[in-house]
Amino acid sequence: MSRFLIKRLFSATLTLFAVSVLTFLMFFALPRDPVTGMCPKNCNPERLERVRDDLGLNDPLVSQYAGYMKGIVTGRDLGSAQGGRCDAPCLGWSYVSNEAVSDTIARVLPVTLSIVIPAAILWLLLGVGLGMVSALRRGTWLDRAAIGFSLTGASLQLYFVGAVLLLVFVYNLRLLPVPSYTSIFDDPVKWASGLVLAWVALAFLFSAIYARLSRAQMLETLSEDFVRTARAKGLAKPKVYGRHALRAAITPVVTIAGLDVGGALGGTVITETTFGIQGLGRTAVDAVRSGDLPTIMATVLIAAVFVVLANVLVDLLYAAIDPRVRLR
Amino acid sequence: MRPRVAVAAGGAIALVVALGACSKNTGEGTTVDSERKQTGVIATDPKDSQGPAAEVSGAQKGGTFSVIRESPISHLDPQRTYSFAGLMANPLWSRYLTTWKDDGKGGLVLVGDLAETPGKNVNNDCKVWEFTIKDGVKFEDGRPITSKEIAYGIARSFDPDLSGGPTYIQEWLADTAQFDTKWDFKKNKTSLPPGLSTPDAKTLRFEFAKPRCDLPFAVSLPTTAPLPADKDTGVDLDKQPFSSGPYKVAKNQVGVQITLDRNPNWDANTDPVRHQYPDQFVWSFGPTADAANNRVIADNGADQSALAFNAVPASLVAKVAGDASLKSRSILSPTPSANQLVINNQRVKDLKVRQALNYAIDREGMVKALGGQTVAAPLTTLMPPATIGYKAYEAYPAGPNGNVDKAKELLGGQTPALVLGVADNSTEQQQGAQLKANLERAGFKITLRNISDDAKLDEIKKKDNPWDLYLGNWAADWPSGASILPVLYDGRTIKAEGNSNQSYFNDPAINAEMDRILAMEPSAQGPEWAKLDERIMKEHAPVVPLFVDVAYNVHGSKAGGIFISSVFGYPSFVNAYVKP
Repeated sequence: MSRFLIKRLFSATLTLFAVSVLTFLMFFALPRDPVTGMCPKNCNPERLERVRDDLGLNDPLVSQYAGYMKGIVTGRDLGSAQGGRCDAPCLGWSYVSNEAVSDTIARVLPVTLSIVIPAAILWLLLGVGLGMVSALRRGTWLDRAAIGFSLTGASLQLYFVGAVLLLVFVYNLRLLPVPSYTSIFDDPVKWASGLVLAWVALAFLFSAIYARLSRAQMLETLSEDFVRTARAKGLAKPKVYGRHALRAAITPVVTIAGLDVGGALGGTVITETTFGIQGLGRTAVDAVRSGDLPTIMATVLIAAVFVVLANVLVDLLYAAIDPRVRLR
Repeated sequence: MRPRVAVAAGGAIALVVALGACSKNTGEGTTVDSERKQTGVIATDPKDSQGPAAEVSGAQKGGTFSVIRESPISHLDPQRTYSFAGLMANPLWSRYLTTWKDDGKGGLVLVGDLAETPGKNVNNDCKVWEFTIKDGVKFEDGRPITSKEIAYGIARSFDPDLSGGPTYIQEWLADTAQFDTKWDFKKNKTSLPPGLSTPDAKTLRFEFAKPRCDLPFAVSLPTTAPLPADKDTGVDLDKQPFSSGPYKVAKNQVGVQITLDRNPNWDANTDPVRHQYPDQFVWSFGPTADAANNRVIADNGADQSALAFNAVPASLVAKVAGDASLKSRSILSPTPSANQLVINNQRVKDLKVRQALNYAIDREGMVKALGGQTVAAPLTTLMPPATIGYKAYEAYPAGPNGNVDKAKELLGGQTPALVLGVADNSTEQQQGAQLKANLERAGFKITLRNISDDAKLDEIKKKDNPWDLYLGNWAADWPSGASILPVLYDGRTIKAEGNSNQSYFNDPAINAEMDRILAMEPSAQGPEWAKLDERIMKEHAPVVPLFVDVAYNVHGSKAGGIFISSVFGYPSFVNAYVKP
């Protein structure tokens, strides 16, 4: 187990290193000059050049990259124009939003976590629940309804579902407040009421895929020998389905869920845009638009961390769910 | 102070022109308001600069006024403020040497803000200016504002760490664009930049190497906001500016929300422009333009006293314009942001070709392509109508859709092949397609070449750029011809790159005329710039004026007092109040 973990963490570190190098190189391949945006109109080329120098943008790429990575580990001095000393993990200074990137991340990451985690719980419960019920009641109206639901969900787009939800529940019926983020620690009710539409929209779309996947997996598992054996031994249906069949059927669902949740934590840009909430996703897109390298680096790295961690977690869960899997 | 030329009754020089391209919302769709007049004045009577500002009809104290905007304001620090949102928000917590008394109907008066008047031209040569600071002006902690703190504010704008703000005053004082190397703020914190002095606590003196007749306008920008040296937190002032205005920053959740409370030490009797009606202002950031406008249109709860700072997006224009109930909640106003089809005069040297382009242009088609008159209003002059001294004219009268026959006649059977460079964003792509179809009807052969949106501005500022035509825009920092014509059409400023003169037009006679006007008293310059505007177009046609941007905003049913600034073309908050 520990050997497995060490191996996975090592490969995760390598992945993150590769992602950071690629992001750095891709940024410098962009046609935008980040300094132009900082300089007022009529800014002359000499002044632009000095600003570039001050920000270290004229330094060799390797040295810029090394400085950035060193900042994450030990912190670094960014100079008076960029807020002075930046403690570890220093993600740099955004010359677009004029604040330390770690401050930006500390502000927007809880927003994305608050959207994704409850939504993921909702879509997993709903999707897996519907899939299971549908498989166990194969051919009944319940099965057909579940299939219809999943087809509808899979064929719709989030920006459409979101707009409809907003129109109905916020602007017409006025049952819910305009979506916004409040910290759960400040006001849990406001937190939930401000984000519930985002959860529902995400859950509706994602649960459709999970319902279909769970149904197919469950049907396949139910036809396997070990289920028949369990039933033949006289085990009660709930025990067979709940303890044996479900555990086997859910393994691929866990894989997909790990990737989906990891990806979503890296930024739910369409959800955030549709509901007008500034999370990690919109911050990343804004950063790309404005050529804000430190913010691009930070958001890409955090997204990569989530995906990598989700994969490690999925591997660990495999062993817990399916006793046939052994970690090496 | 030297007596101003042509002093009008009431101590003001009024330059009245017809503004033919303004629009109003009638509630039954939008129509052109040809009645609106644009006036621009510089106050000469100190009474004009005294407070309190005239009461806003129907306004009352109390409530929270909300402003919803997609992106955060880039800088709260006045010395770093230059974005439009910043320029509109900053007067809530900052005061300057001068400011604009703007009636929201086209009437503009430049008055003293912290200064008793818009400045004294000491030797009548625009090289030495003095401002006398008002009595009773205070910071948020109650200490008096003197010339020292205003001078310190200007001095810190030399700090390269505090980039982003306007640089006019710094460059004029240092007499070089490299002002921050000529005078190092960090090494001279206890002294002042060259040419800036405070003979006493009530007097601020500027001495320039060259005549700077636009100084009264330039000091209306936030560079002149005061700051006590002991309150200078460097780059962190962006998070918590120190107030001299009617409100102070009570809470700043960077990038999310700014809450402003009343500043009890602001005295209305010293302020000719601002009010302090709402108890609080709350600026919220995050919702997209669609979401913000939908919220305000829905008019629920706190959004009833809110303004969507982002203009009504194209997806909602039909809904807002077509809904009679939104008539009283929408503002439609032309802005000073002028757009041209810029002709590269180095490449298109034949005057007849440039004139033919002017005859051929279909402005109505362009406005339609952009989304109609809630987005743009046709323009036939170099300066936008909001400019002091503006005079409407058509150098090449061709009707709203252009006159292709006249254009063909000028071309005399030629079919000039021109390359039109367009940014690869959706708006310019649309405009490019419209222009190509329009100009080819008149006999031109237009080749569209895409320019990366990110790089376009830099590329067209390069002298040797490879395009004959491109779309250009200029929004001046103050409504004076001096901040438009010399910047865009003085050929002596042309350099290898970084050019504001993007038409690369250079005519010695025009350059000399600019020098003559620049040496005049600012108050007398207005009509002269208007004459030069017409002369440039008639004699040289260096560009094709296209349209001015139009501001179209919606607010909640309890939000009052909002108007579009005639200076910047964005919603102003100095009169804002919350209805009961």
